Order: sequence, then C-alpha cells, then structure tokens
Amino acid sequence: MSHHDVSYLAPKETGWKTIWSWIFTVDHKKIGVMYLAAVLLAFLLGGIFAIALRLELWEPVKTLADGTVTGQVLDLGAGATANNWYNRAFTLHGTVMVFLFIIPSIPASLGNIFLPIMLGAKDVAFPKLNLFSWYVYVFGGLFALYAILAGGVETGWTFYTPYSSTTEWGSVTAMVLGAFILGFSSIFTGMNFIATVHKLRTPGMGWFDMPLFVWALYATSIIQVLATPVLGITLLFIVFERMFQVGVFDPALGGDPVLFQHFFWFYSHPAVYIMILPGFGVISEMIAVHCQKKLFGYKAIAFSSIAIAAISFLVWGHHMFTSETPAANAIFSALTFLVAIPTAIKVFNWIATMYKASIAINTPMLYVMAFLFCFTIGGLTGPPLATLAVDIHLHDTYFVVAHFHYVMMGGTVLAFIGALHHWWPKIFGKMYNEFWGMMGCTLVFVGFNVTFFTQFFLGTQGMPRRYATYIEEFTSLHQISTIGSLILALGLFVHLGNFILSLVSGPKAPRNPWGGLTFEWEADAPPVEHNFPKEPVIVHGPYDYGTVTPPHTNPGEFPLNDERPSA
Amino acid sequence: MTMDMFQPQQASSMLVSNVWDDLWWRGTTGASTFADGIDTIFFFIFWVSLLFFIVLMGLMVLFAWAYRRRQGYGPESSASHNTTLEITWTVIPSILFLIMFLWGFKGYLPMQIAPSDSEVINVSAYQWGWEWTYDTGAQTQQFEVMADVPSPVFAVPVGRPVKLIMSSRDVIHSAYISQFRVKRDIFPNKYTTLWFQAEQTTHYFDEEAGEALPISPDNKGFHLACTEYCGDQHSQMWGRIAVMAEADYQAWKAKMGTFEGPLHELGKLLHTTKGCAACHSVDGSQKTGPTWQGVWMEPREFTNAPGESYADETEYRNYMRESILEPHKKILAGYPNQMQSYQGQLTDREMLGLLVYMKTLSSNPDDVSAAMAESAAEMEAREAGESESEGGEAAAEEMS
Repeated sequence: MSHHDVSYLAPKETGWKTIWSWIFTVDHKKIGVMYLAAVLLAFLLGGIFAIALRLELWEPVKTLADGTVTGQVLDLGAGATANNWYNRAFTLHGTVMVFLFIIPSIPASLGNIFLPIMLGAKDVAFPKLNLFSWYVYVFGGLFALYAILAGGVETGWTFYTPYSSTTEWGSVTAMVLGAFILGFSSIFTGMNFIATVHKLRTPGMGWFDMPLFVWALYATSIIQVLATPVLGITLLFIVFERMFQVGVFDPALGGDPVLFQHFFWFYSHPAVYIMILPGFGVISEMIAVHCQKKLFGYKAIAFSSIAIAAISFLVWGHHMFTSETPAANAIFSALTFLVAIPTAIKVFNWIATMYKASIAINTPMLYVMAFLFCFTIGGLTGPPLATLAVDIHLHDTYFVVAHFHYVMMGGTVLAFIGALHHWWPKIFGKMYNEFWGMMGCTLVFVGFNVTFFTQFFLGTQGMPRRYATYIEEFTSLHQISTIGSLILALGLFVHLGNFILSLVSGPKAPRNPWGGLTFEWEADAPPVEHNFPKEPVIVHGPYDYGTVTPPHTNPGEFPLNDERPSA
Repeated sequence: MTMDMFQPQQASSMLVSNVWDDLWWRGTTGASTFADGIDTIFFFIFWVSLLFFIVLMGLMVLFAWAYRRRQGYGPESSASHNTTLEITWTVIPSILFLIMFLWGFKGYLPMQIAPSDSEVINVSAYQWGWEWTYDTGAQTQQFEVMADVPSPVFAVPVGRPVKLIMSSRDVIHSAYISQFRVKRDIFPNKYTTLWFQAEQTTHYFDEEAGEALPISPDNKGFHLACTEYCGDQHSQMWGRIAVMAEADYQAWKAKMGTFEGPLHELGKLLHTTKGCAACHSVDGSQKTGPTWQGVWMEPREFTNAPGESYADETEYRNYMRESILEPHKKILAGYPNQMQSYQGQLTDREMLGLLVYMKTLSSNPDDVSAAMAESAAEMEAREAGESESEGGEAAAEEMS
C-alpha cells in the first residue's frame, strides 16, 4: 500500500478500510495523531478536575450557627464530604495531568510525527512497537478511568505511603496499576526514539546536523528508559503491600515510609525533565524559524539537554528536605543548584537568538515569548526551593504549587500549544485563524499568570498545598487565583474552537508557511505516507537561516541576511 | 497585665501596615529567631532573580520590537555563538548559586540542633489532629474554630527555645508553623524533632476565663498546620500557637493540667482533645466514622463479624470499650477500617467519662437522665474522697 504521492491522512476506498488503516496503522504520523487526540482528551479531563478544585477553593467551607454549610461547591451527593470531593479532584487532576497528559504530550504526539521526518526517515525504528505503545497507553488510561469511575482515588498523585498502602478509600490499586502500565508505554516510546536517532538518520546527517527537537527527544528518551522502571517496581510494591501485606513501606508491616519517597522521586524528579525537555526542544525549533535566525549556541543547547538528563538523576532528594537528615539535604541542595545552570544557559541562548533577527509576530512566536516569560519565572523560583533554609518554610506550600505550574504549564504546556500551532499546517494541511490563535494565546497567558502568580504569595504567607479548605485569611488570594483559572480555561477553548474550525473549513496550508529549514518543511502538507518521495539529502544545517532560502517558499518571502528591499 | 505586654502588639500593627510585608508574609515578620534570617536569604534570592528577570524580559521585548519582521528585510548577520559571552553567563549564575547554597545551608544548620535547655513538648499527630503533652503532663483543654472545626490552642513561652519531639500514630504528617518559618515531617516509625524560639507575645493568660486570650484583636496568634497530605481532613488539622510571657505560660500549663468537672463533661472534652471529633459527630452528621448521637444500645451490623444486639448495658459498654481499644475487631457496616487503637492512652476515669458522655447522647431520655445521675454520683463520691485525702493529689494523678 505504499503510495508515494498520497497524503497519510487520505481516506481509503471504504469507510471500514479507513478505520482499519488507523487502528492497525504502523505509520508514525497516524500514531502521533492518535496520541495527540488521546493526550488532548486527557488534558480536557485533567482540566475539568482543575477547574473543579479551583471552584471549591473559592471560599472556605463554613458551618453557620444555624447549621447550614456555605462554601461547599463540590457536592455531588453520595454522602461524601466536601473534603472528600476535593481530595479526589486534586488527586485525579495530578494523576491524569502527569501520567496521561504531560509525560506523553509532546514526545508521543509531536515527537512521533516529527522525529522520523526531521531525520529524513520513513518511520521510527520499530513501527509495530510504536503502535503497541499507543495501545498500552490506552489500556493504562482505561485502568485509570476505571479507577476514577469506581470511586476515584484521594491519595495525591504521589501515592505517599503508608497512607496509600493502607487507606481503604477508593480504588488505589487500580489507579496504581494504571500508572504502572502507562510507564511501559513511555519506556517503549523512549526505546524506539533512541534506536531511531542512532540508526535512521538520513545518510550524511551527523549528530550536530540534527535539529534540537531531536536532541531534546533523545535526552528525554534516555530518562524514560532508565527511570521509568524504578517507578514501575515502586508502584508494584504498593500493590503487593495492599494485596498481600508485603511490608516494604508500611511501618506496621516492618517497612519504611521514607523509602517510598526515595524510590518515587528517583523516578519522578527525572520525570519532571521528561516533561520539560521536549518543551525546550520545540521552543528551539520555533524560535529559530519564526526569527529566521541561526540558533545562538547550538552546541550549548544540545549539550545542556544531555547535562540536564544526567544531573536530573541526582537531585531527587530535594523533595525530602523536611523528611531527611541534614547531610543528605546539603548534598541534594548543592546538586539541585547544579541542574539550574544548564537550564539558565538555554534561556540565555534563546533570547540571544532574537538579537538582530527578523521576528514574526504570530501565534507560535507569541507562545515562544509567553514560554520565555513564564518559564523564566518558573526557573527563578527554583533557587528559593533549592536553598535549604528557605525551603523549610516554603516546602509543601502553594509556593511549590506555583513554581511547579510555572515550569510545567508555563513551560511545557505553553510550548506544546505553541508547537501545535507551529506544526498544525504540516500535520493536517490546513491553516488556523491567526487572529483567534493570538487571542487564545493572550487569554491563556493572562489567565495563567493571574492563576499562578497569586499562589506564590499564598505560599510565602503559609498556605499549605492539598487543602480542601482553609482559614479565612487566604480567601481573597484564592478568589483571584480562581478567576485566573477561568480566563485560562476560556483561552484554551478559544484554541479548541479555532482548531476545529481549521479542520472543518481552514484554508489549505502551504508546504512551508513559516520558512523552516528542517526536513519536515521539505515534506508535503500533510506529508505523504512515507514522508518523502525519495530519501532527502542533507545540504545545509538545520538552522542556516539567513544564508539558505527556505524550500517551497515564494521568492522574497524570507529574505536572507542583510537583504533590504530593492528600491 | 502590664503595659509592656502591649509593645509587641504595637510593633506588629506597624508591620501590618507595611504593604510589602503584608503581601509576602501576611505582615508577620520576626515571629521567631529564625524568621528574620530566612526572610533575608529569601529576599536576596528575590532581588537577584528580579534583576535577571527584568534584564532578560527587557531584552526579549526590546528585540521583539527592534527586530520585528518587515516586508523585504532579512535578518542582520551576527555571530551564532560567542565563547566569552557563553562562559560569562555560565560563570555568573554559578557563583550566585554557590552563594545561595552556602547561605541556605548556614541558615539551615542551626534549625537542626535544639539548645539543651529547651522546653520540651511531646507531639503526637494523628488523622486528624494534634496532641501536645507538656512536661507537666498537661494537655490543652482550650479550642477555637479554625477551618470550620474546633482546633486546639497550644501555648508556648516567649523568648526561650521550645523543642517538639514528634511522632505519628498512623500516616506521615508534617508540622508547620509558618510565622516561625519551621517545618518537619512526622513519621509513624520514628521520632523527629523541631525547635523554635518565639519572639513575639501574642496571648496572655486570663485567670477568669482560665484560657489564653489574644492581646490584640489584630493578631489572634500564629498557626500550626499539617503539610503532608494525610487523607480526608488534612486541611482541617490546624492549631493555634499562643505565645505567652513565662508567668502566663506557666499559669496556662497549670490550668490545663487539671480537670475538675464531672464525667460527662470529661467525656465531652476528650471527644475534642483526643481527636474523636475528627471522625465522629455528636449531632448525627455524616463523617468518616459513625456518629455518636442516638446510637446508645442500638443493634450493630459489622462487615467483619456477625451483627450484635445488646441485651444489657454492660454488654454494650464492653462493645464500646473494645471499639475504642481494639477498633479493628468489629468494623461497622458502611465505614472504613480507619481508626487507630487508643490502647494505653486513656485512664479508667477517662474511659468511663467517654462512655457516660456517649450515653448522654442517647435518643432515649431515660438513658440521658441515668447518665447524668451516674455523673453526679461519681462527682459526689470524688469530692468526698478528695476532702478525706490531702489536697488535689487524686485529681492530679488522674490527669497525668
């Protein structure tokens, strides 16, 4: 069925064959699109939980003198208290967002679609394993969905023992098994990407000819393959403890609860870099293209990804500054500062790339700038948490919640939405509406900052995280935060509407609307089944902007270095 | 009460008027000996970060404007890397990070070692509440509503170190007193300690009320909160920290060390102080555990044992006693196996007090009057016994 000139999205002769061609596809682009649909659904689900918990925090629950209760928003009956609904909402928000959305978000969707194309390959190294990983993801997701429908979980996404291993409430075992299964999907994708990068680069493409998105995915994959098994076995221990009373973490059975924290963060801290590194990758791509500028310090950015991946394995202890001994804390505090250095270097490089560039103002570039703004705040609020004396105060408060969201949402998610706009024309062959794209970006940016900047103050003022209710002093800051979250949600729905309209009635996209130089802009929009009619040849570097005219663009559309309009 | 008591209040109201401190710390600075040092490191990092942020964002906005795309104009040529620049922007943050690390470590170490002359308080955390046992054996009998539940008021002396030796009865908790800038996790399998020295007096001991009362309506005292998620009522594990002058602190402690009331009042107090209230309502409302209202002598269905009905009161009292001391034995249908054993935590009189108090919640008016009579008779006998023996020894023994 190899058609050299037919879009990968083209329907087959009959409806059944079309469905068949999707669910049994080994085409990395189709698998990427299926991942995209799945992770966006997970994002919607996690977002619903987020809005639910922000609404519950509008005001503290209060029992008046006459016995009436005010401030209880989440009350779906069933005899559960407001606490219980809130605890389920924050746990499911975290679990769904982390395991079902943000970990697979960029690598499994955009990475799957563009990694092989950027290398000039026909597909990933193991196409069937790629499809299998999608089914494993869906199977793990169904487990999680079952756990939600069977009552939910209220242990927090971190599943801290002995609470998680002893609580009789909810379906902890099913949720933990769901996360365990999802881990395999992540490992398979990682293995596939590593093999692809090593073996399937088009002839002549050296390591330093690779786009930085590929470098970032490579670093991510290494972490996925090395760290995820640790999470897997840790989660299994919880299941064993719950089902067979094997004492690993529960002191009542002879276990050690802090051991769980070590195991858990040995995975989950590197996992934070699984989440953010792909975001760094897409930002590098977008900033170069939309600035028409060679990336400043290509090698520094590439090596900093690898450095971050390596150091990320050595900082897990900073999640335990209030539970561990001073000697351990001192070491982990120092190592944590070490990981901040390569991250800072990346930000400097991106901003330096804008110097003397030709900067387009469009949705992807707005997202790049929104990312730089929010991620810089996220990055700069890391040092107070790495500093031992200060962290003792801020640990497990809203300051951490805000910092985490500035990095994950302000970093990865903004990069992801920007990248969706950037590559949308290539994936689906349709343009989106630029005005509504920029409008959505503005709403998301404003809403995000109103929601989460407020939470830095909540944190320094002493508001602990994971609180279903609170003392009245914190009410006004919580209300500002909730208003922000609604603006943020509105912005996201603007994007959703814009994307749907684009699919339904968007104008056909040109092959290279932004003037990109990496291989995906050589391909058709959308690409043909095997990406390229014949194996592409590398004739210039991925970021030789200003010296190479981008392929498939109109003459004069993307002028070269120092070109001026002829009078 | 003397006039110097009001000085800290004036100082704190001056701070409250400071918008900046209000924004970051709710106006409470310098509440403990650690607070100023930690806040100084925080603001060092803050100002350095703000400087970097302004420079970076300034450049970004400047570049986005100055080099915006114009029809027909290409980018200007410029170097795509610059070793000197790249080394500079690697070295400068590294030096700043080193300063932050060293300063943070230096500030953190003293928090780890409590002075040997500290006032020692034993802290037990449980789902969901706190029990502080002072060196005299006293436990608080004072409560105020925080986050919609009666929350304990814990007094600490001003101007001298206090060391908390903490353990958990069930899952991991964490003690956090934000205004003191201290926090430490609490585990079921080991002791951890936390120490602080309070620097601002917030309360005085009111002889008449027999309670610690806030000096100023603006400052109701500091708060203790749990910062390690521990289940359903994690967000309702607040406690009030009342900082008092030494004499007031000692008077408060002495008052909290005695309880002179009758059995049913003792039971009612224990319902709050021992944490029963977290899971068992006394007004019929739904909580994690069954309510105590109107269940006296009612037949019970269990998930792990055959159902029971109670022919006489001794049988029922035995069932209740067992439920308190060995709660896992019979799990009431519809409720989780959640409760921890109170073995060794209640005196005989306290156990009796709880049972009599439960009986006063019966739906049968005869039970209620019988319980009140039992309570009154015991009180009479106690008073008679006490006048025979010397002073209040018996009462002191009872509470220890």
